[in-house]
Amino acid sequence: MSLNSFKRALWLYHINAGSCNGCDIEILATLTPRYDVERFGIVLVGSPRHADVLAVTGPVPRQMVSRLKRVYEQIPDPKVVLQVGSCGMEGGVFHESYNLVGPVDQIIPVDVYVPGCPPRPEAIIEGVVKAWVKLEKAAEQRIT
Amino acid sequence: MEILSPEKIVDGFKVALGDGFIDSKIYQKEVAVKKNIFTSIWIHVKREAFRKAVEHICELQEYPHLAIISPSDRGDDVELIYHFTIYYGHHLQELSLGLRVDVPKSDLKIPTITDIIPGALFTERETQEMMGVEVVGIPDNRRLFLPDDFPEGIYPWRKDETGPEDMLRVLPGRQQKWQQVKE
Amino acid sequence: MAASKGIERYTIPVGPIHPALKEPIRLDLGIDGEEIVDVDVIVGQVHRGIEWLGMNRNNPVQNIYIAERVCGICNICHPFAYIMAVEQAAGITPPERAEYIRTIIAEMERIHSHLLWAGVAAHEIGFDTVFYLVWRVREEIMDLIEYVTGNRVTKAMFQIGGVRRDITEEQFPRIRKSLDYYKSILNQLKTVFLDDRMIQMRTRNVGVLKAEDALKFLAVGPTARASGVTKDVRQDQAYGAYADMDIRAITPDVLTGTIIGDVYDRIIVRLLEVKQSIEIIEQCLDKMPSGTILVEPKIAKLLAMLKKAEGEGVGRAEAPRGEVIHYVRLEAERETLAAWKIRAPTYTNLMSIPTILKGGQIADVPIAFGSIDPCMSCTNRAIVVDRKTNKKSMLTYEELHELSIEKTRRLKAEFDR
Repeated sequence: MSLNSFKRALWLYHINAGSCNGCDIEILATLTPRYDVERFGIVLVGSPRHADVLAVTGPVPRQMVSRLKRVYEQIPDPKVVLQVGSCGMEGGVFHESYNLVGPVDQIIPVDVYVPGCPPRPEAIIEGVVKAWVKLEKAAEQRIT
Repeated sequence: MEILSPEKIVDGFKVALGDGFIDSKIYQKEVAVKKNIFTSIWIHVKREAFRKAVEHICELQEYPHLAIISPSDRGDDVELIYHFTIYYGHHLQELSLGLRVDVPKSDLKIPTITDIIPGALFTERETQEMMGVEVVGIPDNRRLFLPDDFPEGIYPWRKDETGPEDMLRVLPGRQQKWQQVKE
Repeated sequence: MAASKGIERYTIPVGPIHPALKEPIRLDLGIDGEEIVDVDVIVGQVHRGIEWLGMNRNNPVQNIYIAERVCGICNICHPFAYIMAVEQAAGITPPERAEYIRTIIAEMERIHSHLLWAGVAAHEIGFDTVFYLVWRVREEIMDLIEYVTGNRVTKAMFQIGGVRRDITEEQFPRIRKSLDYYKSILNQLKTVFLDDRMIQMRTRNVGVLKAEDALKFLAVGPTARASGVTKDVRQDQAYGAYADMDIRAITPDVLTGTIIGDVYDRIIVRLLEVKQSIEIIEQCLDKMPSGTILVEPKIAKLLAMLKKAEGEGVGRAEAPRGEVIHYVRLEAERETLAAWKIRAPTYTNLMSIPTILKGGQIADVPIAFGSIDPCMSCTNRAIVVDRKTNKKSMLTYEELHELSIEKTRRLKAEFDR
């Protein structure tokens, strides 16, 4: 495989790990006409097996841990994890609870953090761009 | 269906429940510019009279709306408040009706009302898992929100030794605050 | 999905990872061929223990922000109900102007939420063009919300005893401009959704909930109103500026003359409610009383006041999905709340789901389930089971969505013929 291996559209899979929906609707808003990342070929896919980037939102409640791990493992390499929202980073308003196992980076490796509660679509786009750069580097390393 | 005043509703409960009636409270407040009245009624009943009280509410309106059961730990007792609303569908006539019943911790049992109001199932299941109050006769005994591997005998809403303190996870970089609050 | 042989029945688990709904919930669907015979709803995947936090960690003012994060879509109605409960418990009466500002913000939220739902519903039946169209239209209200409150999603406008930000006269023209925009496109939206033959074929007589079942299973909000139950907290109870207005619950018969209680009726109710919300905001702007917006602007003083207060209160507000209720009890000398119970609308609407899905086809699950506008962060995926073999076959959301799109195509081909 060459460096050019990642000269293709970026596909995103989104998993809600106990998020409040705030970040989730902003992720969707980035895909729709106002912010329209679809013009760069970034689309939300329905199956982790088709995805390059995993977008995780939420502070990860107990029930979602195994599911989050399973979804992460289903994504083919090279992959990048984009963690959206403050509560998945360090608990946010939900820190200190009996049903939370987060933060996300203690369950699966995270590459890009997008802070904010919820982050604006512009911030999510910047996160996706950083994820893209990282994916290209990962593709580069694979050839050497 | 006749719409009764809050006082008449309370009187109706007194007659229907007899000894089972403990106490009542009518709360009213004026709202916004036109000063229309918001009304809520609180009725405290004995556990023995609880089912009868629910049946009485069904007489006031054929399908009373049961919003939720709010359980709270009050030391020796667990207080259950069944939040009903009646007279909905009529402009500004609706009443919030809180039906309060105390259950001693030595005998945490309450009869189900799912035969009268089928929609009460979710909230009864939640009361069982969160507060440890056994709902006698409940048609579906499973947990609702808590995971299946959640330890038995821990009830998140209790404030005694069966509370979830041991399970608390303080995320990295955060202080444990609940203990400070307690002290 | 396994094809049914003879009289076998399967259980198909759907979820908990469910991309279009954006939230985890599991439905176990017992199927006989294509027909759904049994449904079990499994929730709890996003249980965060919010009430525990409110009772053990936070003070009442901090709780407003936790209440906002019960749900990112209805992040106004939760604080709305919460502050009303606290005000009732502590005996605080908010200024009149604050009531009007609260109402305006709550109605803005309803417009954004109903448009969001309309987009997702279109996506569920495979009409992505409409999904994108509606979400583009929705950005206007998001801009307005940002203009008024300073943020797109979480608004942080509410405070115990009033609101944190005023809406001034200078801001009115900008608000009216957005409302006029929505008034101008409302008929277009109606044509797109209600006159389209394909949408009619996919939603008419699908996911029917009869009025009696709606009452029995305690349905609330547009789900109940589409079944003909005239239940709307804004109409029924005096709260906010709604108490000054003559608001009537919207049922689908105003437009069609009949009530079926299907998915189509739920679309009608939500579209008409967008119009109603615009009217409510306009009335609020016209009649906005002058005066202060906050009873006690100093938070330390407010907290001291709440610490002394003893009492209980119940606050109820009409969220875009139905009634939200918060119960709060305050005890003197206690920094946190003594009791806090939240009930979100989806909590009770989920009980109607078995009735809505039973007898339907698997391909109708996304739209029928989506039609109650489930909000799992407020409350929590779908499983399908074959009874004959008791074999569980997983149907991913993608397959389910594919089935739904296929059905639209099939109907279209039939229609074109």
